[in-house]
Amino acid sequence: MTAVKRYEHGSRVPGWDEAADLTKDPAEIPDPATTPVPEDLRAEIEAHMANYPDRRSATLPALAAAQRVHGWCSPQAIDEVACVMRLTPAYLASVATFYDMLETTPVGRHSVYVCTNISCSLCGADELYAAVRDAAGDDADFNVRAFECLGACDIAPMASVDGVYVGPLTLEDVPRLLDDARAGRPVLPEKQLARRRVADPHANSQEFPEHPAQEPQG
Amino acid sequence: MPRPQPKTITFTIDGLEVRAPENSMLVDAAKHGDVEIPVFCYEPKLGNPVGACRMCLVEIEGIPKLQTGCSTPVKDGMVVHTQSERVKTAQNAVVEFLLINHPLDCPVCDKGGECPLQDITFGWGKGTSRFIEPKRHFVKPLELSPLIAIDRERCILCYRCVRFSQEIAEDYQLVLLERGAHSYVSTFDGHPYVAPFSGNIVELCPVGALTSRAYRFRARPWDIEDSGSVCTLCPAQCNVSFTVRDDRVMRVLARENDEVDDGWLCDKGRFAYQSIHVDERVTQPLVRDGGELRPVSWERALEEAAAGLRRARGKVAALAGGGSTSEEGLLLARLLREGLDSEHLDTLAGVDCRDLHRLAEPALQATASDLEFAHTVLVIETEPVRDIPILDLRIRKGVRRHGVQLAVATPRPSSLDASAKLALRYAPGAGATFLQALAAALYGGELEETARAAGADVEQLRALAELLRTGGATGSAPQEIVILYGDRILGHRGADDLLKLARGLNLHGHAGAGLLAVPAAGANGRGLLEAGFAPGYGPGLRAIAASGAHTGRNGAADGESATDGKDASALGVHGIGAALATGELSALYLLHADPLRSELPHETWSAALEKASTVIAHASFLTEGLREHANVVFPAESYAEKEGTVVHPDGRLQRLRPAIGRRGETRAEWSVIAELARRCEVDLDVLTGAMASQQLFDAVPFYAGLSLEEIGGRGVRWQERGAASAFPQPPASAPAEPSADGTASPEAVGSIWDTPEVEFSPSLKFLYKRERVEA
Amino acid sequence: MSELLLFADIDEPGLNTLEVYSRRGGYDSLRKALAMPPEAVLHELEASGLRGRGGAGFAMGKKVSFLPKGGMDKYLVCNADESEPGTFKDRELMQKSPHMLIEGIVIASYAAGASRSFIYIRGEYQLQADVLDAALSEARDAGYVGENILGSGHSLSLVVHRGAGAYICGEETGLLDSLEGKRGNPRLKPPFPANQGLYQGPTLINNVETLSTVPTIIRMGGEQYAKLGVETSTGTKLVSISGHVQRPGNYEIELGIPSREIIYGLAGGPPQGRAVKCWFPGGSSSPVLTGDELDVPYDFNSLAQAGTMLGSGAIIVVDDSTPIIDVALKVAKFYRHESCGKCTPCREGTNWTVKMLERIDAGEATPMDLDIMGSVQEHIMGNCLCVLGDAMAMPIASMITKFRAELEAHMDSRRLEAVGA
Ligand SMILES: Cc1cc2nc3c(=O)[nH]c(=O)nc-3n(C[C@H](O)[C@H](O)[C@H](O)COP(=O)(O)O)c2cc1C
Ligand code: SF4
Ligand code: FES
Repeated sequence: MTAVKRYEHGSRVPGWDEAADLTKDPAEIPDPATTPVPEDLRAEIEAHMANYPDRRSATLPALAAAQRVHGWCSPQAIDEVACVMRLTPAYLASVATFYDMLETTPVGRHSVYVCTNISCSLCGADELYAAVRDAAGDDADFNVRAFECLGACDIAPMASVDGVYVGPLTLEDVPRLLDDARAGRPVLPEKQLARRRVADPHANSQEFPEHPAQEPQG
Repeated sequence: MPRPQPKTITFTIDGLEVRAPENSMLVDAAKHGDVEIPVFCYEPKLGNPVGACRMCLVEIEGIPKLQTGCSTPVKDGMVVHTQSERVKTAQNAVVEFLLINHPLDCPVCDKGGECPLQDITFGWGKGTSRFIEPKRHFVKPLELSPLIAIDRERCILCYRCVRFSQEIAEDYQLVLLERGAHSYVSTFDGHPYVAPFSGNIVELCPVGALTSRAYRFRARPWDIEDSGSVCTLCPAQCNVSFTVRDDRVMRVLARENDEVDDGWLCDKGRFAYQSIHVDERVTQPLVRDGGELRPVSWERALEEAAAGLRRARGKVAALAGGGSTSEEGLLLARLLREGLDSEHLDTLAGVDCRDLHRLAEPALQATASDLEFAHTVLVIETEPVRDIPILDLRIRKGVRRHGVQLAVATPRPSSLDASAKLALRYAPGAGATFLQALAAALYGGELEETARAAGADVEQLRALAELLRTGGATGSAPQEIVILYGDRILGHRGADDLLKLARGLNLHGHAGAGLLAVPAAGANGRGLLEAGFAPGYGPGLRAIAASGAHTGRNGAADGESATDGKDASALGVHGIGAALATGELSALYLLHADPLRSELPHETWSAALEKASTVIAHASFLTEGLREHANVVFPAESYAEKEGTVVHPDGRLQRLRPAIGRRGETRAEWSVIAELARRCEVDLDVLTGAMASQQLFDAVPFYAGLSLEEIGGRGVRWQERGAASAFPQPPASAPAEPSADGTASPEAVGSIWDTPEVEFSPSLKFLYKRERVEA
Repeated sequence: MSELLLFADIDEPGLNTLEVYSRRGGYDSLRKALAMPPEAVLHELEASGLRGRGGAGFAMGKKVSFLPKGGMDKYLVCNADESEPGTFKDRELMQKSPHMLIEGIVIASYAAGASRSFIYIRGEYQLQADVLDAALSEARDAGYVGENILGSGHSLSLVVHRGAGAYICGEETGLLDSLEGKRGNPRLKPPFPANQGLYQGPTLINNVETLSTVPTIIRMGGEQYAKLGVETSTGTKLVSISGHVQRPGNYEIELGIPSREIIYGLAGGPPQGRAVKCWFPGGSSSPVLTGDELDVPYDFNSLAQAGTMLGSGAIIVVDDSTPIIDVALKVAKFYRHESCGKCTPCREGTNWTVKMLERIDAGEATPMDLDIMGSVQEHIMGNCLCVLGDAMAMPIASMITKFRAELEAHMDSRRLEAVGA
C-alpha cells in the first residue's frame, strides 16, 4: 500500500555510496605535458577566458564547449578544461553537477527536453513526456529528459529538441519529432517557436500563427 | 598592511549592555556578554561568513527579518534578542530541519560526546521531530582518503570542509557535487582527497561526517584527556593538544595560537603521533655486541658510552637534530666542552654560525603573523609546504585576505607560484648568487652577469626589485616587507646580500617587517644555536675564544664576548665529517641525528662513521647510520614524552609538556646526558627538567629572568622582553674567509615529509612513499 | 490598451536587425541620453517610477543611484535567466527586439558609470542568445557598444554569457557567483551587489524587460512615462499568461487594469465550460488567488494587498478540472529540484514538503499532516538565505489555506481507494 517508495526520487542520490579509490593519485591541476587537449577546444576555451576580467568566469562556456566535443562532461572532458583553465577537475565537476544542462553521465547525442513544469503539465505535458520516452525506447541516440519550465508556456506543451523549441505538441507529433531529429532535419518546422508571432492582438494585425517570422532552425 | 585596531562599542543583548569590538560579528560580540548564539557553518578561520546553516538567527530591533548573527557586524547601540519567541521558533525549526535526514546514530558515532550537533540539538532544539518520512540510508562510512572516512548520512552541508579545501589550503580538491538536497561532499571522479593539510577538515566538521581513520573507535570523549604541547616535527612548531587515553596518544588536535599556527595543523603534525606507539621504536638502551645492536641494561649502556667518550677526550664531536630541546643542546654542549675538551658541535645544516648570528639580530626579526599583514612577502630558497608547512597557509591567507603581494624565488616550481605576483627561478644551489643579483638590481652592481651566473631572468629580477622598492605601500609610509628565507642560502656571502637588502628595504627595527628564517637545522635549529650548541659559540651566541680559554660554569664564555674571536679550530659539520674520516676525531655523539638520513654527502659520511671508534646516539628509530654504525643507542623520548623548551624561528620560546609517560625503559634525555657527564667527571647540576630549563634561562643573557610559567601555553618571544638588549653585537662583516662550513648543500635537509615519523606512522606511510618518489 | 511601448513594433519583420530597428527610431534614445549628463539620465529613470520587472519590483532609478560614485570598475548585469515557471516575456523581447535591450543596457550603464556589462541568459535560450550575439556584433560595428560610444567618452564592453540550467541563477547573487564561474549559490546580503557585486565591484543588476524599457523612458521623458499605469506601478508591463486559457502568450498591458481583463479579455479565459479554480498572478512563486479574486487590479500594490505579488508578471491559470494537489506537487517539486542546497530551511524544507505532499496524494496522510506542512512553510519563510525557499513556501501555504477542504477530501478518497472500498 505504500505509494512512496522507500528510496523514491529524492532519497537515492547517485554518488553518495561511492568511496574514493585509494589507489588513485589526488586530482590536482592537470599537467599540460600529459593532458592532450583538442586544438579547437583549447582555442574556444581560451577565447572565452579572454572575455572576462577573471578567467574563471569562462567555466560554464568552457564546460559547454567540452560537452559538445565529448557528448558529456566526462572525466576526460573535465580534465581537458581543467588543463586549459588551470583549475582543478574537482572544481569543475562541482560546477558541472550544479547545472541541469551539463551532463555528468553519458547520454544520447540528441537531447529532447520535455517541459513538465506547471503550465505545460496543465496542458498535458506529463502524457507527452511519457509518450516521447516510450517512442524513444532504448534508442541510445536520445537523451529524453523531463525538464523544468523552459520559458515557453505559450506553446504548451512543448519541448526543446537539440535546443530548438517546438510546440504546442500533441501526442501525434511525437514520432515525427524523433524522426526529424534522427534524420538531422529541422524538427517540426511549422511548430517551431522561432516562427511564432506575439500573441498580443494589439501587436498583430494578422491572426497568428501564419507567416514564419524567421527561418526554421535546425 | 597595518593590522586593524577595532574600537569598542556598547550594544544590548537580551537586555544586557555589553561592550565589544565594533564590527565583530554578533555571535562573537555576544560572547562578551556571556550569551551563546549557536552556529554550525560559522568559523572565522575560514574567512567571510557564508550564512548557510541559519542556526544563528537573531532578532535585531529595527530590522523586520531575523538576521544571521554570524554575518551581522555589531554596531554601537544595537539592540539584539536571542531569547525571544520568534528566535526560539526559528532555532527549533533549523534544528528540526537539520535532523530530518540525519541518522541520529549517536551511540555508534565517533563524534558523540564532542559533537556540536548534539550540543546544539540539546540546547536549542525542541527535542521532538515531526518528520515521519523515510530518511536517507547509505553505505557508510566510506573512505575519502587513506586518512579520512566520510559518512554522508551525517553531513549537514555546513560547507566548512569544502571551504577549507578551497579557501584555506586552496587545493580545490574537496567540493560539493550536485545541488539542493542531493548535494554531497566529494572529490573528482573518485580520487582520494590527499593534500598536505587535509586532516584539518576532520577537526572542522561539526558532526560525525568526517572522521580520522586513525582515531575512529579508539576512544570516547569521556575517557580521554587533553594535554597541550608543541609539535617539534618541523620548525613551524605548531601548538597541539594531545588526546591521551590510557597513557597513549590517540590523536592530535590543533591548539590555536594565532602567533604560531593560526589554528591549523599539517597532516604530519596531525597523524605522525602514531609513530610514538609502533613496534619499530627503540625503547631500551642498545649496545653493539658482536656486530649487532642488542638490548642491554642502562648501566651497561651508560658505562660503555662513557668509556668511549673518555677514551676519545679532546677528539669528540656532537651533532644534534632539530627535534632536540634547547636544554638538551645546552647540557650536551657542556658535556663536550667541560668534560671532554671538545668544541666540535653542530647541527646537520652546515650553515656558518657567524652568519646565523648576524641575521638573528632582534631588530631584523619578523614574526610568523607578520607574513599575513605585510605589504610584500618574498619567499626565497624555501618551499614552505615541504619545509615549514603551516606558513604556507599563512602566506596564502595574507595574499587572499589582506592583499599581500607575494614574490617567490626558488630553484624549483613552488606550490605558491599560483598565488604569487612574481615567481622567479634560479639554478639549484645558486641562491646566494641570486641574492647578489637582486642586490645589484636594487642598488646597482653587475646585474646581468650575476643573474646569468644564478641562472635567473634579468627582467624578472628587475620586476622583483621594483616590487620590493615600490609595491604596496600607500602614501609616504615605507612598505612593510617580510623575507622568508631558507637559511641554507647563507653561504657564499648570501648573508651579506641579505643584510644589504634588509638595510635598503628598511627592515631594520621596522615593526611588521623583517626577516624570517626557515632553519635548515630543523625544528629547534634556532634554540640549539641560542643554547650554545654551535661550533665556537656558547650560550647566548657568545663567541668562545680560541682553545684553552675554558668556559665558565654554565658554559658561558667568561664575560668578554669578543665578536669575532670565535675559536677557529672548532669544527662544524663538514669539518667533523672530514676529521672523523682522517681519524683526527674519533667519537661522535648523535643527538636525534643521523648523517646518513640527511642530505649530507652519503659516501663521506659512511666513511666517517665507519672510521669513528665510538658512535653514541639518542634515537627513536634505528635509521641506516645508526643501525650500521652506532655503538650505543639510547632510546629517545618522543615529542609527546619530552619536557623542555624550543625556540620558534621567530624567537618565540615554547614549552613542551609531557603528555604521556616515557615508553619502555626510556629515560629523560637530559638525565642521560647528565649521567654521562657525571661519568666523565663533570657535574652538570641538574636533577629535574625544570632545573635544566632554569640553567638555560640563566645561561643565555637575552633570556634573563625567563621562567617556564612566563612561557606558559602560548610562548614568549624573547625579542619582546627587556633582556633582548643583551643580544651580543654580531660581527660587522662576513667571516674573513668563508669556511668550508659556510657552504650548505643546496638541500641540507630534506622535506619534512621524508622522516622516520612519517615512515613509521601506519596511516602516513603512503605519503612517505609519495614524497620519496617525487624527491 | 491605449499604447504599446515595448511591443509597438514587435512583429515587424526583421526588427532583430539593426537596419529595421534603426528605421523605427532605434538608438535615438541612446543619442539623446549621451547628450545629457549622466545625472540627468538618472533623473529621468527616477522620475519614471519604473519598478524592476524581474520579480522584486524594486525601483530601478533608485537602484542605479545606490552605486557608489567614483572611478572604480563598475559592472552592469542584465538578468536574462528567466526561469520562473510561467514566465516567457524576456524571451520574446530578446528574440524579436534585441537592439532595444542593448540600447537600454548602454543607456543604463551610462547613468550608472559602468564600463563592463554582461547579459546572463539561461542556457536553454539558444536561439535568443544567438540573436543577441548577432545584434551585439552589429551594434559594436555601428559604434553603439565599445570604446568611446558615439564620441561621448563613455565606453562599455558587453558579453552575452550563457547559463547552463539552474533556476537559482536568476537570483541576483546566485547569478553573480555563476557569472564568476562558480556554482550558482546565492550570497549573503549585505553587502548588496550595488556595493560589492561582480568581482567584488559595484554592480547594477536588472531584468531584461526593465532594461528594455529604458530607451522608451528616455524617449518619452520620465515624467511622461510615469503618467501611464497607476501611482505606485507606473508604465506598461508585459504579462505572460499560460495554463488553462484559450490564448496563452505575452501581452503588454498598462499596470492597474483589472486582472479579469487580462485573463478573460486578452487570453480568452479557460476553455469553454470550465471555470478558474485558482491562478498565480506572478509566476509559480506567488501565492495563488482563487476564481473569486479576479477583479484585483493588476499592479504591484493591489496584488500585495491581496496577499500575493506581481512577481515576474506571469499569470498561470488553473481551471476546475485540475486537483489542487497536482498543482501543489508540481510547484513543490520544482523548488526542491532548484534549491541550491546552501541553506538549511530551503534545502530540507522543500524536500520535506514534497514528501508530505506525496503522502497526501497517496492517501497516507491525515489532516494533522496539513497542519505540520503549514508550519513547515512558516518555518521556511523569512529564515532562508535567499527567497527561493519562500518562493515555495508562499504558494504552498496559500494552497493549504485556500484549498484545505479539497485536500482533506482528496486524502479521504485516496485512502478509500487504497483499501479497495
Ligand atoms: C529564486 C529567484 C529567482 C529569480 N529569477 C529571476 C529571473 O529569472 N529573472 C529575473 O530577471 N529576476 C529573477 N529574480 C529576481 C532577481 O533576484 C532580481 O531581483 C532582479 O533580477 C532584479 O532586476 P529588476 O530590478 O530589474 O527586476 C529571481 C529572484 C529569486 C529569489
Ligand atoms: S533559500 Fe534555497 S536557493 Fe536560496 S540560498 Fe537557501 S538553499 Fe539556496
Ligand atoms: S552560523 Fe550563521 S548561518 Fe551558519
